[in-house]
Amino acid sequence: MIKVENLSKDYLLKKKAPGLSGALKGLVKRNYEEIHAVKDLSFSIGEGEIVGFIGPNGAGKSTTIKMMAGILTPTNGSVYINGEDITKHRKEVVRNIGVVFGQRSQLNWDLRLGESFELLKHIYQIQQKDYEATLDVMDEILGIKELVDKPVRQMSLGQRVKGDLVAAMLHSPKVLFLDEPTIGLDVSSKFALRTFIKEINKIKKTTVILTTHDLGDIEELCERLIIINHGVMMEDGNLSQIVDRIAPYKTLVVEYYDEAAPEHARCEMIEHEGNIAKYKFMKQETTAAEIIADLSKEKNIKDVSIEEAGIDDIIKIAYGS
Amino acid sequence: MKKGFKELCHYMDVTGQCIKMAFMTIIEYPSSIAGWLISNPLQFIMGFAIIKFVVESFGEINGWNYGQLAFLYGISVISHALSMIFFVQGWFMGYYVIYGDFDQYLTRPLGVLYQFFFTNINIFGITDLIPGIIVFIYGCAKCQLAITPLFLIQVIIMLVGATLIRGGIYILIGSTSFHTRSAVDFGQYTQEIMDKTTMYPISMYPESMQFILTYLIPVGWVSFYPVSALLGVENTVLNGLAVPFVTLAVGLVVMILAGAYFTSGLKKYESAGN
Repeated sequence: MIKVENLSKDYLLKKKAPGLSGALKGLVKRNYEEIHAVKDLSFSIGEGEIVGFIGPNGAGKSTTIKMMAGILTPTNGSVYINGEDITKHRKEVVRNIGVVFGQRSQLNWDLRLGESFELLKHIYQIQQKDYEATLDVMDEILGIKELVDKPVRQMSLGQRVKGDLVAAMLHSPKVLFLDEPTIGLDVSSKFALRTFIKEINKIKKTTVILTTHDLGDIEELCERLIIINHGVMMEDGNLSQIVDRIAPYKTLVVEYYDEAAPEHARCEMIEHEGNIAKYKFMKQETTAAEIIADLSKEKNIKDVSIEEAGIDDIIKIAYGS
Repeated sequence: MKKGFKELCHYMDVTGQCIKMAFMTIIEYPSSIAGWLISNPLQFIMGFAIIKFVVESFGEINGWNYGQLAFLYGISVISHALSMIFFVQGWFMGYYVIYGDFDQYLTRPLGVLYQFFFTNINIFGITDLIPGIIVFIYGCAKCQLAITPLFLIQVIIMLVGATLIRGGIYILIGSTSFHTRSAVDFGQYTQEIMDKTTMYPISMYPESMQFILTYLIPVGWVSFYPVSALLGVENTVLNGLAVPFVTLAVGLVVMILAGAYFTSGLKKYESAGN
């Protein structure tokens, strides 16, 4: 569905010396620094996948997604959507994509939401029958029809994002790009948005590509993660594979009846406070049951729990490297 | 050919919808209509009153009598109004560039420049059109012109060309923002220059100025040359009944150049960070 080949984007950044003298110098002699926002990315995404792009601020996620959506012209490399190069055939290719960028809206601020939909209906030449059918589906998932007559300027952020999502889906695109869609949303709006993404993926087989900083989005939505940092791909795979590769350990928390805690040969005690001790062990070396059995021979155990390495650990490790 | 026709229909259909929405937006804020309806025509009627005063005091300006000046003024204001309706967004292009507002146009299957202008079509420009038409008709009457079909065609062609020249210049200046990455609100300045060079005969300026206004920044073609030729007022670089068509040609050339410059700028478009 989507193929990205050797994608790179460089920016020229004006370097400025501090102070007034620096500003004057900058007038005469301009120093440019080349910033490599995205470096040689290649990957492909199949139909119906939900892929999450994650990475710290400034990692190149937005730049990548904007090149994939035809907004930015790549310095090098190409993006193919449905086999066609988006830079060369923008107008044809964008018929297959929908875009929602969290902080931006394509809705007409002054008019009722329905007018923005009407304009898109004309822009994408959507047949009345299909238009109504799509709106019915959207109404089932998001309850959009009760918002249609409300002026966009009077909407809450959550309602506006719903409006933008429907606007992006009106022409039933094969690919939906979402750049930080849940940013600033409350819990129930986030829930509605995630449900929406899952539903359209199921019903319409829409391929969804999103960037996010929200761990909930990743856990609930993304079967596949692409981690980007400094414009380079760090990881690409499904969530549990990445967890296994980056953080192949679990943490066992044991509570004893007193403060003395025994050590264990096949794991490392990483914390010991009061009656509680934490042991870190490698998943492929041993199991929690084994350690608990060994430890209980030496001391009486009151309680145990197991902590899995979560997405936040993954992100911390991936971003740190 | 058939494909081109279908595409044209598509664009016309979207344009119709954009105009409908523009009217709805105006109705949404009725109080601002009154203000515009009063202030915009007043501005141009006042401007014309000044010309009337000057001509009545000095007889004529550079061989142009009162009626001819009214005709020139009318054409200038009408083409200004048309450029306000279709191309005024060009004044604010820099803001669209630095705030990343071109994103939405780039992800839709229509021309970017088309969407930029027509989804923001400024129906309020009609308020400028009214005084222009009044003064123009007044000028026609004063000059005792015979209104023939050829004359009407010439006027329409001239207005289309003039609007394209103005619009092209807005696009050219606006597109510099892609390269400078800064927004300049140049509307006021350009309007000031355009007014002074299209409402009065440019033959009253020094020759070097005239050269610039003819060949470098071709605003002389907006009203002075075609009107002068049409009314047979002055001997200029080009005379004859075909001059309005030259205006159209100049307009098309400026537009094509502007379009090319815009497209090259769009390749450097950086959006805005999220």
